[in-house]
Amino acid sequence: MSSKYVYVTYIRTSPQKLWDALTRPEFLKKYWFNMTQESDWTPGSSWKMLFEDGRVADAGEILESDPPRRLVIKWRNEFRPELTAEGYSRCVYDLTPDGDVMRLTITHTIDVDNAKLIEAVSGGWPRILSSLKTFLEGGTPLPRTHQS
Amino acid sequence: MAGHSKFVYVIVIRSTREKIWEALTQPEFTRQYWAGTYQKSEWTRGSPWQVFTPDGRLWDAGEIIESDYPSKLVLTWRKEPSGTPFLAEMHAEGFSRLTYTLQEVDLGVQLTLTHEMAVEGSKLIGAVSEGWPSVLSSLKTLLETGTALPNSEKWPEGL
Repeated sequence: MSSKYVYVTYIRTSPQKLWDALTRPEFLKKYWFNMTQESDWTPGSSWKMLFEDGRVADAGEILESDPPRRLVIKWRNEFRPELTAEGYSRCVYDLTPDGDVMRLTITHTIDVDNAKLIEAVSGGWPRILSSLKTFLEGGTPLPRTHQS
Repeated sequence: MAGHSKFVYVIVIRSTREKIWEALTQPEFTRQYWAGTYQKSEWTRGSPWQVFTPDGRLWDAGEIIESDYPSKLVLTWRKEPSGTPFLAEMHAEGFSRLTYTLQEVDLGVQLTLTHEMAVEGSKLIGAVSEGWPSVLSSLKTLLETGTALPNSEKWPEGL
């Protein structure tokens, strides 16, 4: 009884730059559709994703944090009631050096069959990670993922 | 062998559909980001399609099923060499089906790749699932920055 989404991307960058891009608000807002995230990024600390106007989109807590290698977030959608009702998912970021590039693997799972949350994030992750990759490799994110 | 195996990958690239099509099909591009390999085909419906290793050995083959430039390309794909037990097993699974779709979206061009086969737990689909993310990541880097990801032009040693 579970649903899972996995996405792997390879990015020309360093472990620290990739970690910073995934956790620091000033970088996040450049490629993550104007959204930002708030957390201390230490195990047990709260985690929130916020829309541009400050409304909470998703929330949860940090389950594991091993910079710049691995981050595990307990993650619940907070703005679509049918997704909130599915409860908490688990999102794992694995950052692995592979030669001169970084392999980033996102594994997003929830203990619900055919979860609407996983369907929703399956559409979002490729767009977010495509923009992250462009941002880290070229300095500017894909158009329309940030305020121009 | 009943059942179905499927791998889907979506990536958004800052480019045009025409350039991505060219990069997916033309040797001068594939050699840079696709492990040094190149493909031969007329890229029209019914024409044969072949992949070669950098040193010219036939590696995969099939035929073009649908070619709708620059938005959709569908081909059949079978592993050709059978010199090792693993390669022989993949060859024996027969033909898989690969679909590329190219769609203009708000962020750029969305490339959706679907590689599937009517075999449960397919070894071929398992193998390509490991390879596609790095091939397409490098394709994106090449088209956006002019240089593919480091080492993505190199064929794995011993293969």
